[in-house]
Amino acid sequence: MSKYNPVIDILPPKEGGWQKKIIFRVAGDGWLQVEYGEEQVFDLLDTFRLFAIMDRLAKKQIPGLIEYGNGFRTMMYRYDPTKISLRELLKYIKEVEEEVGGIEELSFPSRLVKLPIVFKDSVTRAAIEKYVREIRPNAPNVVNGHNFDYTAMYNGLSPEELKEKILGTEWFLCHQLFWPGGTYQLPIDPRCAIEAPKYNPSRTYTPEGTVGVGGWCIYIYTTESPGGYQLLGRTIPTYQLSQKHPAFKEKPFLLKASDRIKYFETTEDKLLEIYRLVHEEGSPKYQYDITEGTFRVKDYIDFINREDVKREVKEFERRKMEAQKTVPIP
Amino acid sequence: MQSSGIEYGPLKIRQVGIRVYVEDWPGRLGFYKYGFPVSGAADHYAHRMANLLVGNPVTEATLEVTGGFFEAEFTFDTVIAVTGANMEPKVNDDPILMWKSVRVRAGDVLKLSLSKDAGFRAYVAFAGGIDVPLFLGSKSTCVWGSYGGYKGRSLQAGDVLNIGKLNEKQLDSLEGKYVKPKFIPNYEKTWEVAMVPGPTAAPDYVTEEGVEKVFSTVFNVDRNSDRSGYRLITPKDIFPKEWARKSGGVAGLHPSNIVDMGYTIPGGLNVTGDMIIILGPDGPCGGGYVILGTVAYADVWKVFQAFPRRDFIRFRFATLDEAEELRRKQEAMFNSKEEIIGG
Repeated sequence: MSKYNPVIDILPPKEGGWQKKIIFRVAGDGWLQVEYGEEQVFDLLDTFRLFAIMDRLAKKQIPGLIEYGNGFRTMMYRYDPTKISLRELLKYIKEVEEEVGGIEELSFPSRLVKLPIVFKDSVTRAAIEKYVREIRPNAPNVVNGHNFDYTAMYNGLSPEELKEKILGTEWFLCHQLFWPGGTYQLPIDPRCAIEAPKYNPSRTYTPEGTVGVGGWCIYIYTTESPGGYQLLGRTIPTYQLSQKHPAFKEKPFLLKASDRIKYFETTEDKLLEIYRLVHEEGSPKYQYDITEGTFRVKDYIDFINREDVKREVKEFERRKMEAQKTVPIP
Repeated sequence: MQSSGIEYGPLKIRQVGIRVYVEDWPGRLGFYKYGFPVSGAADHYAHRMANLLVGNPVTEATLEVTGGFFEAEFTFDTVIAVTGANMEPKVNDDPILMWKSVRVRAGDVLKLSLSKDAGFRAYVAFAGGIDVPLFLGSKSTCVWGSYGGYKGRSLQAGDVLNIGKLNEKQLDSLEGKYVKPKFIPNYEKTWEVAMVPGPTAAPDYVTEEGVEKVFSTVFNVDRNSDRSGYRLITPKDIFPKEWARKSGGVAGLHPSNIVDMGYTIPGGLNVTGDMIIILGPDGPCGGGYVILGTVAYADVWKVFQAFPRRDFIRFRFATLDEAEELRRKQEAMFNSKEEIIGG
């Protein structure tokens, strides 16, 4: 084997249940990467397993392990090599991976967070106007002054049907690595798996609270920032550096990976009133709607394997493919 | 102002050249999975030495002066130390030695000039430390996140920063300490750093030859380099030539695209498109691009002493065990203060 090969250990796939190979990769002194399977794929089952692992890790004391963060199908561990060598750490992590059994039996804590959304609101509309004015005048992804109708077209849907897809599922918050409190979400109901190409070139400005879609993910922009996802609308604050509203008292961000987000439609007036209460007054008069819960992977597997669900997923795939033959890419 | 029993008093910031940040060490740990990078002193070696010289714990915040042209006026007597890049520090008009603790008086002005020959960042430590609020457990500034440090930003002329205010007797005992010469690094125009390939390197993502080429190339640092990342001017003979895959598949068309994963910060060799970026302490915690290798932590400070556009970086192959050993030695060195500090 090449001296450059970073693979330091492997757990072979298990018979029955969750089948994937587990690959342990060197990532410099102080880091260990654990990868599920050999293929670069988006598979919620990989992500769910990572949460079951983290649930277990939280109950263990591993010397020299500082922290960890999950991607969609990988975990990155940060350790202190003055306290533990990678080879020793590997023993602990392999043990945890072995202890976590077949995927079907897994469950982990997951909160349900209900967030109001306004589609095609005036703030995201202004951001798109700015992009058209300053960066790309004839951007094909701007239809009727917004990216919403374009995204509908790209998915072979009417604007009303696109709303139904977004409102019709819980969105699973997979990871937050790219931006503080960031929120990469995939739909738990695969029939709602909308997709979108990214901006080209990217945007220099995205308003706080914007909900966008890029690739298979939807994303809430926690703060004003650059960005490349197609804008759908706007939700309420999910990040507050001043930490003056009680929801941000412990941490400056509201959402965390493993949360399920359910969007419901509201009016722009109501949305702006919530911004005022949360950011200007820091007032507990607005309370976030968060329910503690448990996510059972078996329920998910049963659901995606239902005949009617499988049929409708296929049907939607076909519609998307048909639409994408003619809809221009930015 | 009073906290943890130390008294603080004002330091008047008179001039800030490029950027001056409050940074501590090891930075903001424990919030990686929530997307908050580690931040902290980019040159953890010079930062720790500066603190040791003025009797602070190595974890205390210092000022990270980027490029040069910093001036600050003291309003009371204290002891300071300047380490890192040689910016020809002066108190009023008198040159002071670097890597040495120096007594300053009320009304004195510390002046740093441009880092002329080698190095990009200097560190100024104050006896008793710097009083800024802890944010998520750290005093460090994260620039693009606009949080931590002094109001989440670089210092500006006119700012007043609170620094430690110790009594005469304490100051007497702290003055005149120096770093023994063999512990003062040579500042270079080409920095050689140990690097361990992985997690996404040869053979799956980059060819074996590609990794060889990374180890045999002297990379010029791009002008667009900062605490988030150091961009390396990457020859076409490395990328796109040496990708082991034709495309990134579902993760994106380019072979540098992968399904989002955690990054190694600082020090990860993040390949975005066909350019290698060495992730800095303020770099993203993760994303959708390959990490070809990671600079050994014991050496990572050298990367951020390279002056963008002027200086160069060369990688030396290290095994994981070698990199771990380098780190253990360095930590042991910092734990034996009497060995490294004289006076």
